[in-house]
Amino acid sequence: MKFIIFAGTPGAGKTSIVKHIAKELKNDYKLFFAKFDCIQTSDNEKIEKELNIPTVKKLAGDICPDHYTALEIPKILNQNQDKDIILLETAGLCLRCSPYVHEGLGINILDITAGDPIRYGPILTQADIVAISKGDLISQAEREIFRAKILKINENAIIVDVNGLTGEGAVDIANLIKESPDLKNKDLTLKHSMPSAICGYCYGNKIINEKKVYQQYTQGKELKSRIPNLNCGKCGFKTCNEFIRGVLDKTAKKEDCPFFKKSEEEE
Amino acid sequence: MECVRTMNEPIRKITILPGKDKSGQSENFEPIDIEIGQSIAIVGNTGAGKSQLLYDIERLAQKDTKSSRLFLVNDKKPGKEIRFNPKRKLIASLSQSMHFLTDISVEDFLKLHLEARGKEQNPKIIAEVINQANQITGEAISATMNLLNLSGGQSRALMIADVAIISDSPIILIDELENAGIKKEKAVEILIKKNKIILIVTHDPSLALSTNKRLIIKNGGIVNVLDTTKQEHDIAHYLNWIESHNLKIRDKIRMGMEIKDVAIDCKKTKSGY
Repeated sequence: MKFIIFAGTPGAGKTSIVKHIAKELKNDYKLFFAKFDCIQTSDNEKIEKELNIPTVKKLAGDICPDHYTALEIPKILNQNQDKDIILLETAGLCLRCSPYVHEGLGINILDITAGDPIRYGPILTQADIVAISKGDLISQAEREIFRAKILKINENAIIVDVNGLTGEGAVDIANLIKESPDLKNKDLTLKHSMPSAICGYCYGNKIINEKKVYQQYTQGKELKSRIPNLNCGKCGFKTCNEFIRGVLDKTAKKEDCPFFKKSEEEE
Repeated sequence: MECVRTMNEPIRKITILPGKDKSGQSENFEPIDIEIGQSIAIVGNTGAGKSQLLYDIERLAQKDTKSSRLFLVNDKKPGKEIRFNPKRKLIASLSQSMHFLTDISVEDFLKLHLEARGKEQNPKIIAEVINQANQITGEAISATMNLLNLSGGQSRALMIADVAIISDSPIILIDELENAGIKKEKAVEILIKKNKIILIVTHDPSLALSTNKRLIIKNGGIVNVLDTTKQEHDIAHYLNWIESHNLKIRDKIRMGMEIKDVAIDCKKTKSGY
């Protein structure tokens, strides 16, 4: 099984390009497509309908979409052991973050009209392939400058020009996917550690006040130490973090978690 | 077959070998040689498959595109290095839909491009680009102008001069350059002088007839290859002459002048017009 992650800012043309690539691969490989987003998406339905390949939609909601993606990857891989290639498209909102893994292939779809690539973090610097989109809208000179800047911050990148309308570049990326290594049941490791969730805001605090943030943080951390962090969903929340926020916001009870460890006083 | 492996070997010519059209029928033409300093027009109706040919050229197709065409460089198969090396692109393109998007002065922009190409920051090169661009457009460009404030014609002219002088790419693809308000004949001349191979997709008669050859595309295939005749070159020259009048009148209108006549005298000349 091969595991391919597509990341890029919204509007860069990820879904159109993934569609063209999937078309090149679908006759020879069993594909599965997973689309991650924050609030809502129907991109996976488009691909399922047009290409007739199985897909899934994953919405991160309140959680950082890239953290959520990393949490969900094992489930997606386990449920699709019969597939040859898993194509995963991230929500692509944070330039600081990207759930690329060493064992698979990381592809950054980069919109050339979105400005200087220097400001992108791991989403660009850790990508194996950088697919430049919308190059037909900008001068040759600016394209050459853009390329040179990409190579300055990611010197090993394979750069491919892509076009979501015509499908330009899809063949090249499909070939690179075919040549990429298989997962072979190895443990997956992230190429880059993600930004940490370490303040009261991560646990749902809404008041901008140092004390309140600290209070919410200590309470959240305390709760986190007493649940197993399995993201099993039995409490009705998608993840343990969402459950903790629910408890602190009083929309859920501690007891909703079947594994909740009571403190000595409570016992 | 031997491969052209690196960019160290200068490109002398490319050759197009037949593939298939949209119905899967084999194309029927002798291998088409295009040498440096030559320009080729690609003509055909909208949807005929001109863009597919450009795409094939852009990636120097090795029977790995829909058309199954094969390209040779200097009579040899191009290696992977020459086709995909991100640091040195073989092909530069120019099209009607391209714009400048960087907020920067013309001079600083050209410096940035020289730097990106790993070239020396020579003020003479920058002056040459601006000078050549000003021969293509009627509205003078200066070094201190902001890139975003250039008119359509100025932008196009600067892009052409920049591709001719700063880009190393030996092959230039031009997609529909008409209506840009520039002296097209001059533009092609500047590119040819710099020893480039030029391919032009066009519906514009003066541009199509200024080239050395034209490829006629129908139903996704190259159906005919015509060498431009002496007479066609003369016609192109004449059409360009009319257009230059058109540009002059345009400039006068812009300057607020009253237009009294078209100033074209259609007497017979030596070339027959």
